[in-house]
Amino acid sequence: MRMENNMPRDEVMEKVTVIFREVFDDDELIITDATNSDDIEDWDSFEHISLIVAMEKEFGMKFDIKEVNTLENVGQMVDLICRGLEG
Amino acid sequence: MNTYHYDEIAIGHTESFEALVKAEDMESFKAITGDINPLHNDETFAGDRGYEGRVVYGMLTASYLSTLAGVYLPGERSLIRSVSTKFYKAVFIGDRLTIEGKVSDKNDTFKLLTVKINIKNQKGEKVLKGEMEIQVLEVEENE
Repeated sequence: MRMENNMPRDEVMEKVTVIFREVFDDDELIITDATNSDDIEDWDSFEHISLIVAMEKEFGMKFDIKEVNTLENVGQMVDLICRGLEG
Repeated sequence: MNTYHYDEIAIGHTESFEALVKAEDMESFKAITGDINPLHNDETFAGDRGYEGRVVYGMLTASYLSTLAGVYLPGERSLIRSVSTKFYKAVFIGDRLTIEGKVSDKNDTFKLLTVKINIKNQKGEKVLKGEMEIQVLEVEENE
């Protein structure tokens, strides 16, 4: 299932924010492109899987495990989603 | 023990097994956990609260989920990632439980199974319902 192909980046960011808030159970969590695992205490390898699984479901795409493992911050995550939506 | 690979398991795949709850299982569980609550250890205490006998530890019933994943679904390559359960009905010593897991979702990126769980007693009554996330550990091939 593939969703909106031309979703603007800020809309992707909004959806990613919702996912982060659900996964980390924090309704007030603010994320930016620069946010990384050092900024969110519970963002470890376990919750990284939760994030990616939730994003695959939300955006109807499958990521490459190697790409997923090299993501360094939220911005790279959003860029990966945007590339997937375009492709 | 089953030795399923991730690709051999489809959504809808179901595995089940039976387990008889014995008095010595209660003793072992108490020894391991230190849970000396009288509801599980005192017939009179349990009877005064409307139960027909000592109530089996809910977490003992839930412990069969370890067997479900580690021996049956997927078996050898199992790594349990999460478990959520609800306890619907009391279990008693001598009950014969049927533990069943059915794959409801798969995530190919992480080789992750979502498994819906049902445990019923010998009367067919639902005693536990839940969901597990189980990763299938595969040895990566050299590139």
